[in-house]
Amino acid sequence: MNDFFFFLLDNLKVFWNYTGFANVEMGHIIMILFGITFIFFAIRYEFEPLLLIPIGFGILIGNVPFDLSANLEIGIYEEGSVLNILYQGVQKGWYPPLIFLGIGAMTDFSALISNPKLILVGAACQFGIFGAYIISLQLGFAPTEAASIGIIGGADGPTAIFLTSKLAPHLLGAVAISAYSYMALIPVLQPPCMRLLTTKKERLIRMKPARMVSQSEKIIFPIAGLLLTAFLVPSGLPLLGMLFFGNLLKESGVTRRLAETARGPMIDVVTILLGLMVGVSTQATTFLTAASVRIFGLGALSFIIATCAGVLFVKFFNLFLKKDNKINPLIGNAGVSAVPGSARMSQIVGLEYDSSNHLLMHAMGPNVAGVIASAVSAGLMLGFLY
Amino acid sequence: MSPTVQTALLISGIGMIGIFIFMALFYLLILALDKLLPHKEEAKADEK
Repeated sequence: MNDFFFFLLDNLKVFWNYTGFANVEMGHIIMILFGITFIFFAIRYEFEPLLLIPIGFGILIGNVPFDLSANLEIGIYEEGSVLNILYQGVQKGWYPPLIFLGIGAMTDFSALISNPKLILVGAACQFGIFGAYIISLQLGFAPTEAASIGIIGGADGPTAIFLTSKLAPHLLGAVAISAYSYMALIPVLQPPCMRLLTTKKERLIRMKPARMVSQSEKIIFPIAGLLLTAFLVPSGLPLLGMLFFGNLLKESGVTRRLAETARGPMIDVVTILLGLMVGVSTQATTFLTAASVRIFGLGALSFIIATCAGVLFVKFFNLFLKKDNKINPLIGNAGVSAVPGSARMSQIVGLEYDSSNHLLMHAMGPNVAGVIASAVSAGLMLGFLY
Repeated sequence: MSPTVQTALLISGIGMIGIFIFMALFYLLILALDKLLPHKEEAKADEK
C-alpha cells in the first residue's frame, strides 16, 4: 500500500512539474494581463479588433508557462514545433508581402491619381521614421535596431514587421506590438497635433472636388508603379511589388475572383497568423525589458513627428499654391499610412469645425501615398543597413 | 558630433531626399497618365 502511495505521489510530482502552475513567474502573469488588456480594448472600444484580438490571444498562448526541459516541442522558439513553423512567416518576412497583396486588392488609388500633389504629403510624413531613427541611435540602440524602431512612425504594421524581421529580429515583438498599438491609438495621438499646428482659418479650407479617373489610368498605375519601384528601390519590391500586383488584380476587371480572394479570405488568414504569431513571440523573458519600454516611447515619438511633419508640410506647400487650389492641412496627418484610420481622423476633426466640409476622400490620397512611402522607406533602410 | 550620428544624419538626409525624388517621379507619372489617358466622359464632353 505504501509503495503504491509513493508511486502515486512521485507521478503527481512529475505531473505538477509539467503544469503551468509549477513554472509560472511574475513575468508570465504580467504578460497574460497585458494580453487580456489587448483583448478588452479590442472588444470594449473596438480598437483595431482584427489585430488586437489575435495579438492579445497570442500573448496569452506565448506566456503559458511550461517546463522547457521536458522538450515537448510546443514553444514558439523550439525548433520544429507547430508554432515555430507558423512563426517562420514572421521571421522570414513572408506574411507582410501577402498582407500587402490583400491591401493592394482593396485599395482604390483614384484619390491619389486625381490629385497627385498629395503624394508629397506621404513623403513628408517619413520624417517621423528618420527622426526616430536618429534619436534611437543617440539613445544607444544599434543602427539596425534604430531603423526598426523608426519604422513604427510609418504606422504600417506589415512594413514594420518586414523591416524588423530583416534588421533586428530580436525586437520583433516589441516593434510589432508598438506599431499596432499606435495604429489603434490614432484617435488619441493625432488630433492634438493637428489642432496645435493649424489655425481655425486653415481648418476651414475647402478643397476642390477630385476629378474623375479613367479605368485605363487605374490599370496602368500599378504596372508603371511596379516598374518605377523595381528600378529605383529594388529592396522595396517584396512589399510594393505585391501591393501593385494586388491592385492590378482589382483594377484589371478580369480577375475579380483573384482580387476577392486576395482582399478577403487570403488577407484574413494571413492577418490571423501574423497577429497570433506576433503575440506568441512576446514571451515575458524577451519582451519585459527596459528596451521594450524605450521602444514604446520612441514609437510614440516617431508617430507624433510623422503626424506633425505631414501637417506642417501641407502648410508649407500651401504657400506655393493658388488660393482656390489650397490643401486643408487637416489631411496632413493621413500621410502616415494606417489606412483608413488616419484619413478618417482628418474627416472627424474637419467636421468639428465645418460640418459640411468632408475631407475623407481628399485624405485618402496622402493615406495611400503613405503606404507607398513607408514601404519605400523600409526598402531604403534595408538597402543602407542590411 | 559622433561618427554614428554623422552617419545617421547622412542616411536620413539621403533617405528623405530619396523618398521625395521617388514620390516626385510618381507625381510625374500620374500627370503623364492624366495627359495620355483622360477620363472618357471628359473626352466626350470636350468633343461636343
